Amino acid sequence: MDELERKKNIRRTTLIVVAVALAFYVGFIMMGVMRS
Amino acid sequence: MTTAVADAHAAEDHDDHGAPAGIKRWLFSTNHKDIGTMYLIFSLVMFFTGGAMAMVIRSELAVPGLQFVHPEFFNSMTTMHALIMVFGAVMPAFVGLANWMIPLMIGAPDMALPRMNNWSFWILPVAFGILLSTLLMPGGGPAGGWTMYPPLILQTGDAFPFLIFSVHLMGISSIMGSINVIVTIINMRAPDMTLLKMPMFVWTWLITAYLLIAVMPVLAGAVTMLLTDQFFGTSFFLAAGGGDPVMFQHIFWFFGHPEVYIMILPAFGVVSEIIPTFSRKPLFGHDSMVYAASCIAFLSFIVWAHHMFTVGMPLTGQLFFMFATMLIAVPTGVKIFNWVATMWRGSMTFETPMLFSLAFVFLFTIGGFSGLMLAIQPADVQYHDTYFVVAHFHYVLVPGSVFAIMAGAYYWLPKWTGHMYNEKLGKLHFWASTIFVNITFFPQHFLGLAGMPRRIPDYSVQFADFNLISSVGAIGFGLSQLLFVLVILTAWKGAKATDRVWEGSHGLEWTVPSPAPWHTFTTPPKARIAGESFE
Repeated sequence: MDELERKKNIRRTTLIVVAVALAFYVGFIMMGVMRS
Repeated sequence: MTTAVADAHAAEDHDDHGAPAGIKRWLFSTNHKDIGTMYLIFSLVMFFTGGAMAMVIRSELAVPGLQFVHPEFFNSMTTMHALIMVFGAVMPAFVGLANWMIPLMIGAPDMALPRMNNWSFWILPVAFGILLSTLLMPGGGPAGGWTMYPPLILQTGDAFPFLIFSVHLMGISSIMGSINVIVTIINMRAPDMTLLKMPMFVWTWLITAYLLIAVMPVLAGAVTMLLTDQFFGTSFFLAAGGGDPVMFQHIFWFFGHPEVYIMILPAFGVVSEIIPTFSRKPLFGHDSMVYAASCIAFLSFIVWAHHMFTVGMPLTGQLFFMFATMLIAVPTGVKIFNWVATMWRGSMTFETPMLFSLAFVFLFTIGGFSGLMLAIQPADVQYHDTYFVVAHFHYVLVPGSVFAIMAGAYYWLPKWTGHMYNEKLGKLHFWASTIFVNITFFPQHFLGLAGMPRRIPDYSVQFADFNLISSVGAIGFGLSQLLFVLVILTAWKGAKATDRVWEGSHGLEWTVPSPAPWHTFTTPPKARIAGESFE
């Protein structure tokens, strides 16, 4: 794996993980909004 | 190991620029070893800060009646002690170990996102500075317990928004740290190191990082809603406005229970590295350990309501959460079995890291058994909010997580400093800690079974004897930890450590010189996996 491809993979993994974290944050607040 | 050694030394030869000098080295560091060191020092400082609060708590509880502090301050101490120990001591200590060891174990030159790594660390002192400053604010520090249940927590004085802000900062730091761990492990491993060839410490941290990604945002969401309830007129958790305070408990424990495993899975990883080394055998059932850790992580998401049995829930809910909780004993049992099987017929020696690991296996199991007792819903109705619970989780967290951190620190200290620590002092630290930790927490089981509630500054006289014993043990345990500081301060005076350090050690981290050079594995090594050297 060359350096450029590794950087691309790092960026992709980071974005996926950040998206998951944000989904949990927003998702649980939305759950609170729906219930209140 | 020859190839890896050659690569590691080659990497050292390429190290044409060393560490910057002065404060800038630490403020702007992007080096995983420096950041790991900062995490570890920070967690030690927080360990003593939270420990000082524990001394206040145990001094007040040594005899019946009010002695030293106002009850409100006592409540503040229990709240702050928990927050500081969980988020300031145990979690950063494991992140410190991860920073130091994961790149070395997988043959990576550094963490994948080094600048974010710097941010992850430097957010922490700010977060805890803010949290500790609340003790000086009108109304005092937060005193509603680390669980921050509304409506009680909304009665906090000026400290409330600062508490919420600091919890957010701690969460952001943890999330950034776990993003870094995941991205590093997924993308930076040495070319022929497949996932199942990774050392157990790396595996347990990968699973822990996924847990963190899933649950820290949930805590952040919960405290954000608390903040808007207090200041922006919402009623998420306020019954008067149509909200539901029990919903907070569900959300909090959806975070809180996996949080327990966030603090114990890396401990499993550390112990899984140490026991094979000092048994001079490969880890028994490496793959089954991975599957067991994954099972524990999955189950941790579906047991949260066992913390809320007394709140009231349908019978089917009680049964589900009771049996799901009990199920965790199965993968945990697999792990205990594998550690014992690793030691079976091994050429065991008992250096300090091994002693702490053995104590971990025995004493964590005691905490696990009392956890099983608490999982039984009808029994939990009696045990709930008593000192039995305090005894249970302290057995899991002190001779569990903290002992594993100590074991890891002793195990890798020669690799970090390049010198062997004082073994006699280390063993003295171990024996003093083990004796006093049991004197502190074992009597609390009896206090709980006799009905002494948690979070009270005063109690009935029938609880006096065991409380005094517990307080004597706590002060002994606190003083014993000064020995650990002495070990660290004198660590540079010991004999020069070899690259391998321990006779039975294996894995890439032992192929680099001791102390580990500032840059390692700038050229990916040919990974020789854990266990291969035994074939």
